[in-house]
Amino acid sequence: MSAVMKARAMDHQQQPVQLAQPVQLAELLRGFMPFAVMCLALGIAPLVLSPYHTVMLVPIVAYGVALLGMNVLFGYTGLLSFGHAMFLAIGAYATAVATRYGILSFECIVLIAAAAGGVFSLLIGALCVRFTHIFFGVLTLAFGMLVHSFLFKFYEVTGGDQGMRVLRPTLLGIEWDMSATQFLSGPFFYYCLALYLLIGVIVFRVVRSPLGLHLRAIRDNENKARYLGVRVYRLRLFAFVLSGVLASVAGAILSISTGLADPELAYWPQSGNLIFMLILGGATTFAGPGLGALIFVVLHETLASYTHYWRFMLGATLVFLVLLLPDGLLGTLARRLPKRAERKAP
Amino acid sequence: MINRRQFSQAALGVAGFAIGAPAFAQNQPLRLGLLAIRSGVGAFLGEDSIRAVQWGVQRLNAAGGIAGRKVELVIQEESTPKDTIERFRHLVLREKVDAVHGLISTGVTLAVAPVAEEERVLLQCWDGTTQNGVQESMPKTRFVFRSTDNECEAVMGALLTVKHMKGKFATIAGINPDYSYGRNCWETFKALLTRYGIEAKVVSEQWVKVGTTDLTTNVAALGAAKPDLIFTSMFLSDLPIFLRQASAAGLLTNTKLVAPTGGGQINELRNAFVPEGSLLGHNTFFHAQPGASELHKAFVADYRDRYKVLPTSSADRAYFNLMAYKAGVEKAVGATGRWPKVDEIAEAIVGVEVESLGGRGRYRDDKIAEQFFYQGLVRHQAGSASLDFADTTAIFSDKLQKPAGADYWNWIKSANFPI
Amino acid sequence: MQYMNLIMAGLFQAAVLFLVACGLQLIFGVQKIVNLACGSFYALGAFFAITVVGLLQSLELPMVLLLPVLVLSGLVIGLAGAPLELLLRPIYRRDPSYQLLMTFGLVLMFQDVFRFFWGPVPRSMDSTLYTIYGSLELSGFRVPVYNLLVIAASLLIALALGQFLKHSRLGRIVRATAENRNITEAMGVNSAKVFTLVFALGCALGTVGGALVIPTSAASMTMAAELVVDAFAVVIIGGLGSMAGAMAGAIVVGLMRAIAVAYMPEVEILAIYLVVVAVLLFRPAGLFGRSTA
Repeated sequence: MSAVMKARAMDHQQQPVQLAQPVQLAELLRGFMPFAVMCLALGIAPLVLSPYHTVMLVPIVAYGVALLGMNVLFGYTGLLSFGHAMFLAIGAYATAVATRYGILSFECIVLIAAAAGGVFSLLIGALCVRFTHIFFGVLTLAFGMLVHSFLFKFYEVTGGDQGMRVLRPTLLGIEWDMSATQFLSGPFFYYCLALYLLIGVIVFRVVRSPLGLHLRAIRDNENKARYLGVRVYRLRLFAFVLSGVLASVAGAILSISTGLADPELAYWPQSGNLIFMLILGGATTFAGPGLGALIFVVLHETLASYTHYWRFMLGATLVFLVLLLPDGLLGTLARRLPKRAERKAP
Repeated sequence: MINRRQFSQAALGVAGFAIGAPAFAQNQPLRLGLLAIRSGVGAFLGEDSIRAVQWGVQRLNAAGGIAGRKVELVIQEESTPKDTIERFRHLVLREKVDAVHGLISTGVTLAVAPVAEEERVLLQCWDGTTQNGVQESMPKTRFVFRSTDNECEAVMGALLTVKHMKGKFATIAGINPDYSYGRNCWETFKALLTRYGIEAKVVSEQWVKVGTTDLTTNVAALGAAKPDLIFTSMFLSDLPIFLRQASAAGLLTNTKLVAPTGGGQINELRNAFVPEGSLLGHNTFFHAQPGASELHKAFVADYRDRYKVLPTSSADRAYFNLMAYKAGVEKAVGATGRWPKVDEIAEAIVGVEVESLGGRGRYRDDKIAEQFFYQGLVRHQAGSASLDFADTTAIFSDKLQKPAGADYWNWIKSANFPI
Repeated sequence: MQYMNLIMAGLFQAAVLFLVACGLQLIFGVQKIVNLACGSFYALGAFFAITVVGLLQSLELPMVLLLPVLVLSGLVIGLAGAPLELLLRPIYRRDPSYQLLMTFGLVLMFQDVFRFFWGPVPRSMDSTLYTIYGSLELSGFRVPVYNLLVIAASLLIALALGQFLKHSRLGRIVRATAENRNITEAMGVNSAKVFTLVFALGCALGTVGGALVIPTSAASMTMAAELVVDAFAVVIIGGLGSMAGAMAGAIVVGLMRAIAVAYMPEVEILAIYLVVVAVLLFRPAGLFGRSTA
């Protein structure tokens, strides 16, 4: 994790001292700026893309929201959850239940999904965050499988393999009378993008706060942090719950875009996909995972349209990433820049 | 308030009309999108369907196509509901197909159909219609056509059980796939037995997760229960696996087997583990059906020649939809004198009778298909390991399917059945 | 006593699960890697066995040799784990989370490898082979001798493995490396070679499991992901890193499934997960595991 330690070292350098240009750039890359740039790009995209491609952007935003949370959990707190897809499902099913009982306001739906995610992540997290690393991963994997089985088995409530229908919500109280493609590539996309930006700002404030520093301290050296008075268990649980809440909100967005809450959302390879996106962009940076979501969705769609063997390609990409670019694309960029500049400097 | 897209669509429409739409369209092929299962336990269903459509399209194009336009196929994969919705959108928005045929799994059909309605795209489903879905999500569709109810086979299986096996069993057991389809078939079977006054005790109910390949414990549990009759609505590769194990465990020696949905596995089933007298259903197509048409014979011969195995009913469902589409388009062209719009084609498809591989078929007013169903009793032919059949019955679905708008379970209790 | 056939069925499943779980535990115990691709090796063993048996049948080999042929073919294809271990080398000293990711990538790749070589449709063996050893009458219920042989084979492998680890020189080296890699290296052991051996062995256990199960079922692209669910239940119940745990967990899962299927079929898979949850709540380290933080 040397790259991460370097990031921490650079945090300490945030003093009014004349820094070399490339280091400043690297800092920027790790911070909020790429995120803002990406949101801007996403905002302009519908003007240049076809409706089909614009609709594809909705899952990117949804995954982005989930990954903001997962990055807090992994990038900043060092816990890799291999079952987070269960929260996507929880958010999706909460949404389905809400629309079935007549709650069609998207604002309410987001709150309900967040609440459902919060409750479940509190319960599950309370148990899981006692452990770290591999055991944490295994436990979260097990819980994910448990949720998946529940969704299948209790078909009277959850619809079993058929899932539950999700009706179109109202945004800001307005009913949008247009086709699904128009709705999803128009008002809904922009609403979710705004939500994504807002959540991004909030999460950024959190990770740059003293609380964020505590999280990183826990990630780097748990015992030392404890000696310093950091409440390890509580903060880990906080990170877990935050990520669960955000993943549930993401699940709500996803289910509205497909019109369906289906149990496959909780299947464990889905969690694998989330982690893939997480490290694709770079878990050591703030914006990396969101970028990873973009690349993953585009990659998946392109590959699936052209070859039967897209799973192989995706798997090979993942193996390649882990071996050669563990910091992800953005993270590697942020790490290499100062080095290149040093070579150029006198 | 007109948005940008509506405006540009209107502009294009005017321009197209000015250019002279029918002549322009004549030179362009008709693009038909297919959504078929390409991998996993249901892959053979998708394969069969694709092969049948390809065979049908080849013959169509050789005879001039549909209303003078040749047909081009664009094939995408049916997998999970979410991914299949994405593939559907890909077909419609990027590949710009004129219609979409496909879909076999129940969950996926329920997920994609509303999307098709909203996008105003003609969707003809090969399979996947089930009772709950009909009531909840799509009471009246404009652009979506659905297959015959999945439960028709269970209904027919129950009726034939009553006819052939009444009085010969006292206890029954069910081993069914653990999802809506399996549950509905099993409940249907029990309900009909009750209706015909057969008091059979249920000694075991097994639920097999779809895609499971290890059934040892299920076989053991059934063995412990010792039923006189086993009912199963398994139709994937779990069926031959179950039968092989059951037979090896001696479960099938004095037990009656009712498998009204098992015909799709005909290439995997053998005399060694399917007892004589078992009731096996072939869905809407049987390769050796009595009174087969020339079309049927030609298809079976070509298929066997090319692929070395027997075709199953998935082929028939896919072919039926292709023919129904052709008939609908040509009828609408005749009625309007130009290339018809999507809703005109949809309206025209309703009620037209077509000749499919398995016999005649049509779509009724609520856009649910009507076709023949075939089931028969297994007979072992000396010198052959593969199944042969005696006493094959054919029943048209109007006797097996609940009418539009009726409640399924009430209909089961009160309908006039053909025995 | 009709419980006998239920127990036999449960033990058969346990025997196969044990092999896969054992492989998982071995790899975790020594290399601290959780091999998500364990299910993929299971499937690989199954597919490969189908091909081998089909080949031998066409060469008219007496099929009485079915069981040893299956075990051998499982072992042979399990060696495919050795070159794959090279991929894992760079990440041993990294955060263990990356190992989960790497093996997940392998899972994805394997699915399409199966598709490429064996097609997308599930494959099974010639149906007559399952009963090649005949069957035994047990309280009015016929148990194919094959099932009993598999249980016996699994026990033998467990014993052999135990002996190997405890008494052989190589086994002791393996255990030492598991305890403390650095010190063992300092003593002159080529830990890289040990790791390759252990990984290949762990994979081979999985492939043998898949090969043994194939006469009774079918090999499909998706069986790998499905098995991971079961394998993890076994490992959590038994305790991560423990061989005895693999056996205990496998027996619990196998028997629980057999009983649940017979008496409460509605809740079958959930029954197993309820046990998993109970273990997680009250003894997260599992029955035999050491609590690893």
